[in-house]
Amino acid sequence: MKDSNISENDVITQPVKIAARNVQVYYGDNHAIKDVNVEIDDKTVTAFIGPSGCGKSTFLRCINRMNDTIDICRVTGDIEIDGEDIYDRKVDPVQLRAKVGMVFQKPNPFPKSIYDNVAYGPRIHGLARNKAELDDIVERALKRGAIWNEVKDRLNEPGTGLSGGQQQRLCIARAVATEPEVLLMDEPCSALDPIATAQVEELIDELRQNYSVVIVTHSMQQAARVSQKTAFFHLGHLVEFGDTDKIFTAPEDPRTESYITGRIG
Amino acid sequence: MTDVANTGAPAAPKTSKSLLTQDARTIKRNRAETRFKMYGIAAISIGMLMLVILLTTIIGRGTGAFQQTFITLSVPLTEAKIDKTGTRDIEQIKKVSTFGYAPLLSAAFAQKVTELGIETDLKPKDMANLLSKDAPATLRDYVLENLDQIGQTVEFEFLAQSRVDGYLKDRVDRGSIANDKNISAEQLDLVDGLLVAGTLEKRFNISFITGADASDARPEAAGMGVSMIGSLSMMLVVLVLALPIGVAASIYLEEFAPKNWITDVIEVNISNLAAVPSIVFGILGLAVFINYMHLPNSAPLVGGLVLTLMTLPTIIISTRASLKAVPPSIRDAALGVGASKMQSVFHHVLPLAAPGILTGTIIGLAQALGETAPLLLIGMVGFIASNPPETIAEGLLSPNSAMPAQIYEWAKRSDPAFYERAWGGIIILLVFLISMNAIAVMLRRRFERRW
Amino acid sequence: MTQLFSSISASVLVLIVLGLGIVGYVTMRSRAIASGGGDARNLHSLPSYYGANAAMMIAIPSLLVMVLWMLLQPMVIQNTVIKLIPDQMVSEGSSVGLVMSDVRRIADGLDAAVAQGAMSGQEAAGLDAVETDVRSRLAEVGVALGSDVQAPILAAAQKYRLLSQSWRAAMVAVVLVMALAGLGFAYRQTDKDFRARNVVEAGVKGLLIIAASLAILTTVGIVFSMLFESINFFRMHPWQDFFLGGSWAPNFRGNSDLSILPLLWGTLYISFIALLVAVPIGLFAAIYLSEYAGPKVRSAAKPLLEILAGIPTIVYGLFALLTVGPFLVNIFGRGDNGVLGVDWMSGATSVLTAGLVMGIMLIPFVSSLSDDIINAVPQSLRDGSYGLGATHSETVRQVILPAALPGIVGAILLAASRAIGETMIVVLGAGAIARFSGNPFEGMTTITTRIVSQLTGDTDFASAETLVAFALGLTLFVLTLALNVLALYIVRKYREQYE
Repeated sequence: MKDSNISENDVITQPVKIAARNVQVYYGDNHAIKDVNVEIDDKTVTAFIGPSGCGKSTFLRCINRMNDTIDICRVTGDIEIDGEDIYDRKVDPVQLRAKVGMVFQKPNPFPKSIYDNVAYGPRIHGLARNKAELDDIVERALKRGAIWNEVKDRLNEPGTGLSGGQQQRLCIARAVATEPEVLLMDEPCSALDPIATAQVEELIDELRQNYSVVIVTHSMQQAARVSQKTAFFHLGHLVEFGDTDKIFTAPEDPRTESYITGRIG
Repeated sequence: MTDVANTGAPAAPKTSKSLLTQDARTIKRNRAETRFKMYGIAAISIGMLMLVILLTTIIGRGTGAFQQTFITLSVPLTEAKIDKTGTRDIEQIKKVSTFGYAPLLSAAFAQKVTELGIETDLKPKDMANLLSKDAPATLRDYVLENLDQIGQTVEFEFLAQSRVDGYLKDRVDRGSIANDKNISAEQLDLVDGLLVAGTLEKRFNISFITGADASDARPEAAGMGVSMIGSLSMMLVVLVLALPIGVAASIYLEEFAPKNWITDVIEVNISNLAAVPSIVFGILGLAVFINYMHLPNSAPLVGGLVLTLMTLPTIIISTRASLKAVPPSIRDAALGVGASKMQSVFHHVLPLAAPGILTGTIIGLAQALGETAPLLLIGMVGFIASNPPETIAEGLLSPNSAMPAQIYEWAKRSDPAFYERAWGGIIILLVFLISMNAIAVMLRRRFERRW
Repeated sequence: MTQLFSSISASVLVLIVLGLGIVGYVTMRSRAIASGGGDARNLHSLPSYYGANAAMMIAIPSLLVMVLWMLLQPMVIQNTVIKLIPDQMVSEGSSVGLVMSDVRRIADGLDAAVAQGAMSGQEAAGLDAVETDVRSRLAEVGVALGSDVQAPILAAAQKYRLLSQSWRAAMVAVVLVMALAGLGFAYRQTDKDFRARNVVEAGVKGLLIIAASLAILTTVGIVFSMLFESINFFRMHPWQDFFLGGSWAPNFRGNSDLSILPLLWGTLYISFIALLVAVPIGLFAAIYLSEYAGPKVRSAAKPLLEILAGIPTIVYGLFALLTVGPFLVNIFGRGDNGVLGVDWMSGATSVLTAGLVMGIMLIPFVSSLSDDIINAVPQSLRDGSYGLGATHSETVRQVILPAALPGIVGAILLAASRAIGETMIVVLGAGAIARFSGNPFEGMTTITTRIVSQLTGDTDFASAETLVAFALGLTLFVLTLALNVLALYIVRKYREQYE
């Protein structure tokens, strides 16, 4: 669609939101992430690209400690959000995840009504004092998820009855409803058709106004379309990180260049 | 994309909270989390606790059945009482009933008490009451088999009657016998005396495992042996019928059956049969095998047929699972060298699935072994099979009981001495079940294959 | 000839047929090799297939006919013999089945007398009820009869004997002829070009199909065996009383109140208490095992819990009667001597006793089914919930359980069906008095308990008091079947949703 317009957005320097230093991740004996250092800006879309199994999703899941739910996974090094170490023993992952929302590869609406799907986060975090406020939050989230007009007349129908693209936007709305500051997206378009993909991409660009968005993607075109910053991962290493335009036009590392030109991956 | 335009208003300004301090709500939620986890642990613990209580009850109350009190007596086999004619004619001796032997026991008992120098006011007959009602019969059987011993004095170990046995096992005490006409306080005094003298002692009783059931008045003589044979005969029938039929049905359903409504009906049928209450199978057995086909009542053959029908669904379900676990590549390989479909199944798939089939069969057999309700309806309860059957055919056709039915029978007799035997019977039954399950687990471990 | 044939017992006949089968196998195998000029490579199939073909042709049709014959013969003979009995005797003697069982007993007695040599075959066939005291003659050979033998009954018994013998002889003849014909047929077939393998395989497949349809045969057997006797029952007893009456009071002299409702009440009450125990414990155990427990705890706790399911129900029955019952009486009964100082419970058998113990039995049933179902909830839903900052318990309660709800409902229905059909625990632990009462400390009785007591009691088999057991059984079967079908349907739908 109008992807050229999107990527032409000016890159304005923003304060650092997420800082990772010397991050190592092990799955049992497997060293999955090797010594990653990266600084992710606020109100910016950052794309993680790289071949399958390069560790980009693993690293993304470190940022809201989703890896805690996997028994054999071990993380060392520092990841700071707003200067606070999220792996500090005092940090409750539950509170962290309220602040760092996540959207998954496959749309995963709960088997509940559309309304209850979106209201789930605000309810568990106690964001609304009464029904009216909750209605308001749900409506705002659905609007921000760019799906309000499609579902406003059937909020009580199950979320699983929507089409794939609608489901994914519902999941984004669900993540947005808890008022996060960072939004992590793990290949959010890989299960969607091109039209739905375009809708979601447009949405991601909108979301940049309020959130720091980190998106893992398989598609270099998508990274080029939606992101201002791009990080290239290869075999667990962060090979190169910089402005998207620069990565795609003048990569410094030969591995980045060969991936972008399609020789590896 | 009109939605996007609607969100023009900037997001509400957020005050970013520190992650390092937990807010009140998070603390509350974490408490709820801990509570919830506790419920789970409590549930598991209750389950475990029940298992422990159940097993300790069984062991605590059942091990007594394996021990029995015996009284050692030297009995003079007086010729004048047993063989009045003195001809050693077995027909003549057989005419002396067990009542004729009772005076011998009384006399022997009285003499023993005098020898030991125990002071008691009891009459010899009351002393001999300490012996089991089985004792005269034991004596008579011995004499009939050893005619040459008549006139000699032979040492016997007789079972003590159940109250004496209960006294040694703390089931009976002086307080509880006030209204008991089977035993008196003086008799217990005598028991104490005999115990000190070593004439009366409690020790392991093999005949509980090998013996037959006994009538209401002789709990001390009752054993599990004959009902064990009844159970084993039934298992033989189940194994011989259920295994081949179950495997054949599974092979058809898994390998040959076309996908149509008949196959669906059969499959739904099998899964429903697996959940039909066992007593319904008992009714089927009563109506079809006994009332219609006139097979003998109470026969292990009928019990085995009923249990076969009950076990079939279990065996079919597990056999189909093991057949399904054999990868299609094996079938393709056999077909590829020109084997027929039937040959590929019987030469390759079936041997590979055999350990799984065997495991399922053993577990099905174990289930059948513990089943009671259908056996009640076909009459495998409520009588005393006194002698073990001599041939396999007799074992299948002559009336018998089965282990669980025997336990039920004892539980109904409302005598604590029989309760003890019921618990003891459960121990024997559980030993069988545990061994069978252990074999199944070992088979599974040994032959488990990952494709 | 007839006598010779009728003296061959069924097992001997089977052995003869099997022997013929072996002979057929060996001879046809060598005949096939011979037809191939001594070289097995010239044959269409392996030599053993020719042998197997012969054995199959000999044994299978003849044995099938034999089984069918033995199943049908009693019905045919009974229908012939029944006509010999005057109608008024049947109506006085309450039912056809009762009269027929007399006929059979006398016939068996005559057989026994002939076998023991107390009577000649001629004499047995020619006995006259007026001249001879049949009862005492049969008592001599150890066959006890309840009353004196009436002439029509004796005549029927003699006819019964005669028919049984001639039919048996006919069966032996037919089976032997079929076996020999099979041998002859196989002899003609056996030739080097004969496709023995295909024929044998088709035969084997037929056997497999028969084995698979046995499941249906069992169900049909269950339904019909209970249906016929239930119809007999409803001829003797008004159905309104059975389904709508208010009391259960069987009476040896007839005219009993036989209503299922008080029994159904007891059954459902006990099952309800059992589920009240088993569902929360089982469900929480399943949640803990599948969501919280580490692999070590799981691999230890799961099989331990499942031991509870492997313990025979007679053990639970004894546990209820001798341990749990007295324990509850100690707490809730015995007035001032009890723990609570109340006197609510007088006997060890009660609804609560049976319900609690049955609940314990059902814990692993609920937990392992729920465990499977919870594990089937896709990981993506858990991720979605964690990703929004939900705690583990919030995820379980608000996402996983609602998603698993249909499956769990199915599991509970299966557990309910098992509770309703459970017999030994209630026979030993629930009591024997049928009543409508809400008091869990009272003894009550259930459908299964009454089936056992009506069918093992001393009442006449053909009386309404006994036949009611079949109507009870049929109701129980329909009830549990409906629950099972519903539960399996729900669970299957649930699984499809996440596949």
